[in-house]
Amino acid sequence: MNTATGYLDGLLQGQPPASALSWLNQLRANAVDRVAALTVPTTRDEDWRFTDISPLTKFSFQPAQEAQPLAPAAIEPWAIGEAAARLVFVDGIYAPQHSFNRSGIAVENLGAGFTSHAAAVQAQLGRLAAFERNAFAALNTAFLHDGALIVVPRELALAAPVHLLFIATRKHAASYPRCLIVAEPGSKLTLVEDYVALQDEAYFTNAVTEIALGANAQVQHVRVQRDGAEAFHIANCAVSLARSSRYHAVSVALGARISRHNLGVLLAAEGAECSIDGLALIGGRQLADTHTLIDHALPQCSSRQLHKCIVDGAAHAVFNGNIMVRAGAQRTDSAQSSRNLLLSGKARVDTKPQLEIFADDVKCAHGATVGQLDVDEVFYLKSRGLSETAARNLLTYAFGAEVIERIPVASLRQRLEASVLAQTEQRP
Amino acid sequence: MIYQDSKTLLAVRDLHASVNGTEILKGMELTVRSGEVHAIMGPNGSGKSTFAKVLAGHPAYVVTGGEVEFDGRSLFELAPEARARAGVFLGFQYPIEIPGVANSQFLRLAYNTVQAERGKDELDPLEFDDFVREKMKLLEMNPDFLGRSVNEGFSGGEKKRNEILQMALLEPKLAILDETDSGLDIDALRIVAGGVNQLSNKDNAIVLVTHYQRLLNYIAPDYVHVMEAGRIIKTGGKELALELEARGYDWVGAEAEANARASA
Amino acid sequence: MSTTLQNLVNQPYPHGFVTDIESDVAPKGLSEDTIRLISAKKNEPEWLLEFRLHAYRQWLKMEEPQWPNVKYPKIDFQAISYYSAPKPKKALASMDEIDPELLRTFEKLGVPMNERAKLAGVAVDVIFDSVSVATTYKAKLAEVGIIFCSISEAVHQHPELVRQYLGSVVPVGDNYYAALNSAVFTDGSFCFIPKGVKCPMDLSTYFRINTQESGQFERTLIVAEAGASVSYLEGCTAPKFDTNQLHAAVVELVALDDADIKYSTVQNWYAGDENGLGGIFNFVTKRGLCKGVNSRISWTQVETGSAITWKYPSCILRGENSIGEFYSVALTNHHQQADTGTKMVHLGKNTRSTIVSKGISAGHSNNSYRGLVRIAPTAAGARNYSQCDSMLIGEHCGANTFPYIQVNNPSAKVEHEASTSKIGEDQLFYFAQRGIGAEEAVSMIINGFCKDVFQQLPMEFAVEATKLLGLKLEGSVG
Repeated sequence: MNTATGYLDGLLQGQPPASALSWLNQLRANAVDRVAALTVPTTRDEDWRFTDISPLTKFSFQPAQEAQPLAPAAIEPWAIGEAAARLVFVDGIYAPQHSFNRSGIAVENLGAGFTSHAAAVQAQLGRLAAFERNAFAALNTAFLHDGALIVVPRELALAAPVHLLFIATRKHAASYPRCLIVAEPGSKLTLVEDYVALQDEAYFTNAVTEIALGANAQVQHVRVQRDGAEAFHIANCAVSLARSSRYHAVSVALGARISRHNLGVLLAAEGAECSIDGLALIGGRQLADTHTLIDHALPQCSSRQLHKCIVDGAAHAVFNGNIMVRAGAQRTDSAQSSRNLLLSGKARVDTKPQLEIFADDVKCAHGATVGQLDVDEVFYLKSRGLSETAARNLLTYAFGAEVIERIPVASLRQRLEASVLAQTEQRP
Repeated sequence: MIYQDSKTLLAVRDLHASVNGTEILKGMELTVRSGEVHAIMGPNGSGKSTFAKVLAGHPAYVVTGGEVEFDGRSLFELAPEARARAGVFLGFQYPIEIPGVANSQFLRLAYNTVQAERGKDELDPLEFDDFVREKMKLLEMNPDFLGRSVNEGFSGGEKKRNEILQMALLEPKLAILDETDSGLDIDALRIVAGGVNQLSNKDNAIVLVTHYQRLLNYIAPDYVHVMEAGRIIKTGGKELALELEARGYDWVGAEAEANARASA
Repeated sequence: MSTTLQNLVNQPYPHGFVTDIESDVAPKGLSEDTIRLISAKKNEPEWLLEFRLHAYRQWLKMEEPQWPNVKYPKIDFQAISYYSAPKPKKALASMDEIDPELLRTFEKLGVPMNERAKLAGVAVDVIFDSVSVATTYKAKLAEVGIIFCSISEAVHQHPELVRQYLGSVVPVGDNYYAALNSAVFTDGSFCFIPKGVKCPMDLSTYFRINTQESGQFERTLIVAEAGASVSYLEGCTAPKFDTNQLHAAVVELVALDDADIKYSTVQNWYAGDENGLGGIFNFVTKRGLCKGVNSRISWTQVETGSAITWKYPSCILRGENSIGEFYSVALTNHHQQADTGTKMVHLGKNTRSTIVSKGISAGHSNNSYRGLVRIAPTAAGARNYSQCDSMLIGEHCGANTFPYIQVNNPSAKVEHEASTSKIGEDQLFYFAQRGIGAEEAVSMIINGFCKDVFQQLPMEFAVEATKLLGLKLEGSVG
């Protein structure tokens, strides 16, 4: 019923009404043009070679027109006690009654930010997450409306985290979360971007996050994707780093039937540093795909990356990590590691750590491993009295915990550790 | 040690040098006679390491003025490898790692090149192996180092010992040791210093470039120079190093400034 | 055959001399008629003509691959001549009958065709443009049952073997250039080592492109029966032209139970000048099938030439416990582009593969490693270890690493490592400070970097490779 071309046009139905802001209408219109010109990617596209997204096109998704009312207790399981501010979105629609802001800085719905922070928003929105050749980023931009806007003022360090919570409640709903984070020079922010579900039917989350770090700014970005079992989750995250700024990301993918996370980090000035950690823990028929691009555009930047996949059942994990060192980006220091654990005979992993280097005075290393649990380690634990299952579960948990431990928000870290432990223990 | 009637090995006069267009050395003066041990101290950025590299001929540094005479001839007429063959040795602060090139192979090539220059016999791999193992004992080095790639995967202390081993093999007339003490624990420092002391004799000279006094507890300098802003602003005996350790560097600058004002 | 074609066949084609030797060159262009012409000239059996036509029809439906990380102007396949042979071509009873001009050409290239003045114990098959002109040591090899001859000869002498194995590893429609080769290949080497025989000497093929407008499409087939083993060497050169020549070869290796094939290449096709003018387009398909249990195929390549190199010597590890190896040094300078690597496809249980790739980039060149390690669901206990190191010389070149790792069996273990290093001011200064000059330092650093690959090469090849790398890098360092 849905050809790849017509499908995207079908998704364009239910766009937000025209805004009073002409630049915003123009941006949406440009995005609509691109959606019309692009098609749903197929496995013939190098970028989607291992991820067949065609199951998405079997459904027709519509954006929700109003937020589903939720009892405060419904939110409680996901609350982060340390949070200084929280924005809640239900099926993509801002839910002020569940949100709060005690941070003293601008943490608000993007819809309001279009006018309250017009200069910052206009300067950044849609600039980092290019949608020229990216159908899903274009689609999100066409629906620009609700979302999160965070502006951390110059030299301000916000110690407590900001929690962005996206809750899916409706079957066959499409949501287009959009986050814009501006960390002004010398500022500091910890951000939790959190996708959860209250139902198990198919829905479609198509998120775009843009993060701009000013000189010497520091952003810690935790991304947790625990969507429902039948969900489609596509996310494009674009980060730009100014001089001597530092970006640390920890992404954890647990949910969704098919998920795809594109993370682009542009080291746009000297002395910038990033560290990117990821964990995909999947089973059943899940597919989790992570594509990262760490772009060393200028000299003297450093990057570290650790990506881990634990794959059970007939699940399929994909990792494509590209480290680009542009001409002139001398004294780049980059290290990347892809580690994969296959737990079952039908599990599959495709990993492609790539280096593209156009400068000679650089230190770049990458490594990848795929395997099962170390026989000697399992034996060691068994020799200390653990059962085979307990030994394997413990080691599997430890494999994933290396990434989870890097989450800088204690309560979230503990909760995720518990849920990874529970997930590994479910195994027979 | 200071000897009577020893000959001048190194004479540096009004040396100016820059890197990437920034002048680092601004009128450096130094005379070193054979048999002597000199220490050049100074705060970070004073130009100590630049001075060492300029003497050895690092291509990134451009000499913009002054003269350096080494063993009776102008140093700047010689290419870096010719300086090494003539007897100038630089112990690197950060020795370079050369993956895949066996240390023994590298050491033998260097040794034979210098031997040939001096009109002496070159050694074949077997002879060289015996010879180098003797020298390694001096530095308490494990012979395993011969089979490993040059400096690759060496700890900081191992790299520095490897530098001194090269000095022992090449028997230079002038050894400039750039921050040889940095990154060494106390045992390694003792071993390295012991090696240097054994190599010191009345025909050669040693210039120690260092930020800290601690190396000088093991190698007694005849002269201690303080560098600041690209030149030597004070020279004294080994007691000066202790005074610097106790009082820091700031007072030397202040004193030099006061002296300059007084003489003006 | 049409009369026009008949006329063409009988006409002399007097153009395209570099070695001063008369060549028989087919008219430019590609069609079924061209293929029939080639087949007729070689007096081929009907099945081979069918093989060619089948490949050609597949090729017509295929598209040129766009995914390699190389850029070049579109190739006009109608501007190429698909057959070029030194003339007259007749069966030679001994080396003494070879055109002396040809002998001199190869002597200049250092290829021993004269058995009395040979390099110690290497049998050589010599391919000049499209045809095999000489094979040495044939008789001696025949004593132990080894067949080593040109593939054209094998088609006539051993049709059952050729028919059984030709296209069995690289099917005619495998990829664009393999299909083209299958349609138009003119000659190449054939080598068959019967059961239990260890080949007493290294076998070698030397390829020479001589004619400016001809492409070279050779086809090599090596079969090692159960328990057999062979070491095979390949060298290539071409004269300097300011146009590009296409070289689209196919090499197929088959190793049965416990067989062992070692295939070494030193590729030095003309690379174009320092501005990137001219040079060979080297689009080659090389693949080995470890068909039997405990079989082993090992590829070693030193790639220094060609304007563009696009090749992935691969191993299909079907037999249980079979082993695939790939050792590669690829050097690019000036405006050369290389996209090379390997594919290790693990199908059988407990199959093992090793990949060691060393890329050296200098000048304005671009050097990519592209490798695939695929562990099929059937390949329980499979192991792979890959190491891909890049060395950059100067700041205008590129070094890329694209490893594709696909694992579908949980008991497999795959490890990949990559690193970069450089030859720059600081490295050379360190050597200089120990009295060692730049030239010697570069040679020492390069040799150290490539050591793991060079030690896989037969001695003479290793020496040649070392010299070659030194020559190629002259003037790009220091």
